[in-house]
Amino acid sequence: MSAANNSQWLQAAFNDPVLDAQTSFRSALKALAEPGLAQPLNRALALGNLHPATYALCLAFLDGDTPLWLAPCFDTPAIRANLSFHCGCPVVAEREEALFALLDEAGADDLSAFDNGSERYPDQSCTLLIQLDTLTGGEQLRWRGPGIKDVRAVELPLRPRFWQQRQARSAFPRGLDAFFAAGEQVIGLPRSTHVLLNAEEAA
Amino acid sequence: MNTNEIYTRSEPASVVGGRSAGSGMYDVVHEDAEHRPYANQAGAVACEVGYNFAYLDEQTKRMIRRGLLKAVAVPGYQVPFGGREMPLPYGWGTGGMQLTAAILGADDVLKVIDQGADDTTNAVSIRRFFARTAGVKTTTRTPEATVIQTRHRIPETPLTNDQIMVYQVPIPEPLRFIEPSETETRTMHALEDYGVMHVKLYEDIATFGHIATSYAYPVTVDERYVMDPSPIPKFDNPKLHMSPALMLFGAGREKRLYAVPPFTRVVSLDFDDHPFAIQSWDECCAFCGSRESYLDELIIDDAGSKRFVCSDTDYCMQRRDAEEEGAQ
Repeated sequence: MSAANNSQWLQAAFNDPVLDAQTSFRSALKALAEPGLAQPLNRALALGNLHPATYALCLAFLDGDTPLWLAPCFDTPAIRANLSFHCGCPVVAEREEALFALLDEAGADDLSAFDNGSERYPDQSCTLLIQLDTLTGGEQLRWRGPGIKDVRAVELPLRPRFWQQRQARSAFPRGLDAFFAAGEQVIGLPRSTHVLLNAEEAA
Repeated sequence: MNTNEIYTRSEPASVVGGRSAGSGMYDVVHEDAEHRPYANQAGAVACEVGYNFAYLDEQTKRMIRRGLLKAVAVPGYQVPFGGREMPLPYGWGTGGMQLTAAILGADDVLKVIDQGADDTTNAVSIRRFFARTAGVKTTTRTPEATVIQTRHRIPETPLTNDQIMVYQVPIPEPLRFIEPSETETRTMHALEDYGVMHVKLYEDIATFGHIATSYAYPVTVDERYVMDPSPIPKFDNPKLHMSPALMLFGAGREKRLYAVPPFTRVVSLDFDDHPFAIQSWDECCAFCGSRESYLDELIIDDAGSKRFVCSDTDYCMQRRDAEEEGAQ
């Protein structure tokens, strides 16, 4: 694929780049501030196998300052061309360099090497944008922490491997923050959320 | 490649559909309408041409937005951000304004308060600024606002889950007056080394017999970071604890932002034998008679006679309106 005919892949992004980006950001902010509660995110259209919510997160967050790591299934000419045109974000091959990572369910099983910040600069960590088929129907887990009044039951369809990986990469304030997108909805999971994995912990 | 062309707009209603949150159509104050050069006669909100929506360019907003996400994910941690120059001097709320500009949308309703009052210079000018550059509705009534930018007070009226508070912060680092080096304070935060904070409070007790810190009283957020809640009176500290509203803090000169998500534990530092206590008054508000609100002291004559009035003007007005209605 030469750069000359990249334009054949281009699609429209936000209808209104200013207000749609703002609306999408506010949904994402609310999703992260209240972990586990699904927020609407419908200002973009689907792009290839990217759902509207996932694409809206990309358009709202990414620009020339944000190196992006793509999971193999999202590393398509259409996604590369559109993200590079509408966001201008560099796509990096090394996980360590990425500030954002675009993952699918399989990709969420391996969180190794993504930057989880330092004790002095915990904000300089990678944010995971994880696309799922749906945001419900998985095993019910209990989430606790800032943004959750008491305990919130969340049923993300994720394999146990993801939760093991998340725990392994987490040493607050270091850690990975994640957005789970499906269809036109998003759920936030900041590093501050404590996920009770089994009955013993919940007791 | 970014699509951040200069953005102008004459009719916000045509651009974006209604917000789904329950707070739709309120009778909103358009107090600044006469100052808007482009306001048409029908009273529609119109804004200045030549500026992007809410003044800041999209690249800057995205940078601040990414910072806000990290601030929410690590409650109480000060995220450095590339602060921009705003068209007013440091100390007038440039940090708060940049956060407000980054989060503000066309269907937000903005309230700005300065020491509790809606009608002081700082509050009026910031409210007018966003009315002109973003065309948003403004209000003075706390329950109607979706975004409240504040200088040094939290409204007396309880906040809701649909509201975002934006605080203007002069010095975001609670350890700064003890340790002037940023390198050192950053290490202290990393190591959770907050012993000196208690020493400072203890020195108060040794000197005055009680903790004399009455504003910018340090708090611990979610049992991890010690945070400066901005120069709010310690009277307002308990309102931070498990608040249903998202709290965002912006320091323009120091270029730091931080956040307290809703329903987060925020505990004021104290000692077992000197527990944290808020201010209280023997008097009540001279206007509305409130005994629950934070009172300002007024000297009313040359003899030094004092009266006390509510610092939160909207709360005071609401109570007086309710009294009048009750009397009729």
